[in-house]
Amino acid sequence: MKGKIKYFILLHLIILLYSLSAICSKAAGTKPFMSMEFILYYGAVIILLGIYAICWQQIIKKLPLTTAFSNKAVTVVWGILFGIIFFAEKISIGKIVGAILVIVGVVLYSLADKDDSLNSSSLDNDIDNQ
Amino acid sequence: MNSKVLFYSCFLLIGIFISAVSQVMLKKAALKKYDSPIKEYLNPLVISAYGLFFFTTVLSILAYKGIPLSMGPILEATSYIYVTIFGVKIFGEKINKQKIIALLFIFAGIFVYSLLG
Repeated sequence: MKGKIKYFILLHLIILLYSLSAICSKAAGTKPFMSMEFILYYGAVIILLGIYAICWQQIIKKLPLTTAFSNKAVTVVWGILFGIIFFAEKISIGKIVGAILVIVGVVLYSLADKDDSLNSSSLDNDIDNQ
Repeated sequence: MNSKVLFYSCFLLIGIFISAVSQVMLKKAALKKYDSPIKEYLNPLVISAYGLFFFTTVLSILAYKGIPLSMGPILEATSYIYVTIFGVKIFGEKINKQKIIALLFIFAGIFVYSLLG
């Protein structure tokens, strides 16, 4: 149980890394192409995605794939929070409702794979497994 | 949603589609048998897939020039649509009612977020 909690926390840390890579993508887009700042932010995107891919591969060995994929829906929440914090984005009721629907959809999709040995999520899995 | 957001959304949507294609290529590569572990990684299919994946990071940066950060993960949920289609058409995977309902939720969420948000 303790071990599961450890991997669950690790899972959320790497999902957070994935969300941070999006901040760097957006930040890179605001800088002149191939400027020093652009290269730094783009480099950070590649490094973060690389770390994410390597750690994801390890996590899915320890946690059920359905748990890993359903928890990935939290990126929607991070996207909204980081948008507000770092880019002063405004949020509306419509956006929150839309985000909740997407999260419900992703969680339902991941849970639908639970009893399906030939699940389609294995497609997602492979990019991280390489 | 204004026309600028719509225009830049297309870069991300194309990127997500390409990313799904690269996943199919990696899956195909993973199903093959190779003589050595190095060949598992250094073969045209895997290298092309990673090339495509790299290209999608460029598309993401382009997209984020015109879309809010919060919209990224929402649009990324379209990957489940491609994964389902490729899974069924290419790998003969099964689709069940729950997955269809889940996809409808994702569609509805993207619609509500983008057009009513």
